Amino acid sequence: MKKTAFSGRHIIKSRGDRLFDGINLGFWILVLALTLYPLWIIIIASVSDPDAILAGRVLIWPADFSMIGYQAVFKHKELWNSYFNALIYTLFGTLLSVSVTMMGAYGLSRKFTGKKLVNFIIVFTMFFTGGLIPIFLNVRDLGLYNTRAILILINSVSVWNLMVARTYMQSTLPNELYEAAVIDGANHFSYFFKIVLPLSGTIIAVLSVYYGVARWNDYFSAMVFIRDRSKLPLQTVLREIIATLTTSTSNESFFSAYADDIKGMTDAMRQAAVAKYCTIVVSTGPAVLLYLFMQKYFVKGVMIGSLKG
Amino acid sequence: MKLKMPELNLPGHPKPLTRIARCVSRDWQIYVLLLPVLIYFIVFHYFPMYGVQIAFRKYRFVDGISGSQWVGLKNFKDFMGAYYFGRLLSNTLLLNLYGLLWGFPIPIILAILLNQLDRARFKKFTQTAIYVPHFISTAVIAGMLYLFLSPSSGVVNYMIKALGGTPINFMIEASWFRSLYIITDIWQHAGWNTILYLAALTAIDPEIYEAATIDGANKRQKILYIDIPYLVPIMVMVFILNAGGLLSSNTDKALLMQTSGNMSTSDIIGVYVYTMGIQGGQFSYTAAIGLFVNIINFFMIISVNWVARRLGETSLF
Repeated sequence: MKKTAFSGRHIIKSRGDRLFDGINLGFWILVLALTLYPLWIIIIASVSDPDAILAGRVLIWPADFSMIGYQAVFKHKELWNSYFNALIYTLFGTLLSVSVTMMGAYGLSRKFTGKKLVNFIIVFTMFFTGGLIPIFLNVRDLGLYNTRAILILINSVSVWNLMVARTYMQSTLPNELYEAAVIDGANHFSYFFKIVLPLSGTIIAVLSVYYGVARWNDYFSAMVFIRDRSKLPLQTVLREIIATLTTSTSNESFFSAYADDIKGMTDAMRQAAVAKYCTIVVSTGPAVLLYLFMQKYFVKGVMIGSLKG
Repeated sequence: MKLKMPELNLPGHPKPLTRIARCVSRDWQIYVLLLPVLIYFIVFHYFPMYGVQIAFRKYRFVDGISGSQWVGLKNFKDFMGAYYFGRLLSNTLLLNLYGLLWGFPIPIILAILLNQLDRARFKKFTQTAIYVPHFISTAVIAGMLYLFLSPSSGVVNYMIKALGGTPINFMIEASWFRSLYIITDIWQHAGWNTILYLAALTAIDPEIYEAATIDGANKRQKILYIDIPYLVPIMVMVFILNAGGLLSSNTDKALLMQTSGNMSTSDIIGVYVYTMGIQGGQFSYTAAIGLFVNIINFFMIISVNWVARRLGETSLF
């Protein structure tokens, strides 16, 4: 939005407004500090010496730079297996979600007989669900319990994303474009694949980030639908390593990689303390980087989609 | 001989079947594109709705969903008579009420204040930064809590000690559970939840602000008399949606934050359903609890929506 002569910094502000701006700036610096400091601690602790962390010396800058936490993480076999699983689930899951959502959103953006019914079938699920137990029994009856497929299929379409994509198409692709294409001999298929998809880069990027990050971060689905440890995704394994109170059990998985002798044991304990920070960096990095990378499409696409939705 | 009904063959009144056939021949490609979405919703949302009937049955695997013995409202009565019923209900309600109390206004305030920032680059950076926590997983959030709040090695307790206080074992104190849950929720999502409000604020015609400036309005007055009235419809919409979730629970997060010490506040319905149902195998009993919650949520959202419409503000439907 272009700044006009009357708004912004170009005119002399009243004293009250200058005071307001000063306080507002201070407020936001505080908010930024509160938002980013916890993340900063994780990063500096992951490259510090465990003794320095325990002594409370890692508050602003890494102390006694060391990579032993990352060494422990890289040797942790189960973690990497789950990392690979999560990549597979995220990749295929996102591909499925984005394709199905784009097709559905296109359908919902056009006029057709029975649109009201289709809309109702979809929107009703936002207000009423069967609940966890019937969903679980349904998955089991479908023969999908303890399969990798269920972690790709479950939650593959979100009503919200579907509506955002539909609104985006309605507001960026004028109906005249469709009419012109029809005169040139296009049908819905050719119009969708040759015109809608190429013009929907922004919303495809937004959907990919939404769906991709949701998949990558999901630990609960695997807790419900998966029994075999070898099929668990990263976040479910992560939960056992970092999100438990009793340090003894959560450290075990790191101990086992090293504890060949007594000396190895104490080293392993030291490593486990810092390795928790490293696992956070390794697991959260991809999601945050993907967001930062896609950021410029992001705000624009989300705003267009949410404006009318 | 039967009478023919010629009017049915007129172009304006095709036979019902012909009409359907005509629609299908015209729209079939749209139906094909919609098919995957519909299959997903039917298989993963409507099949479970059919399965909800086990809440009224004594479910046994060998009998299947519709073959199990019908027991009526027994499962619901069992839940309402259960020792933990009161505790579960009040824990769930209080957690959501406090969450709404803090989580609802903060994004609105943040959006209004962010919109008032003049420095374009700082504004852009801030906007990018406050969305970041939204992309962190629940497992990591819980992990960060355990790391930062550890009584022996956590940053928070280190600071408490440095200021002369005694360390607090936050994760096993029942009195801290709700605060920690809500603070982390706000840290994670308040920034992200400004998006809707910011979208509405950027859509306000700049001429309105110009006119206000000419009339001598200061920033506080512009916020009160321009920004907030523009945001009301979105506030109402968000509020209706939130009100529909007063008994639902973010099971995955509470499950991670639950310890043997904080059970008296962290035991909420969602976690109870997971532990008793998925882990304990009491399918019918927990399906009834789930249905109980869903029905209450459903009526909450309908009634709040009705009130909003009566008050003349926006409503969802």
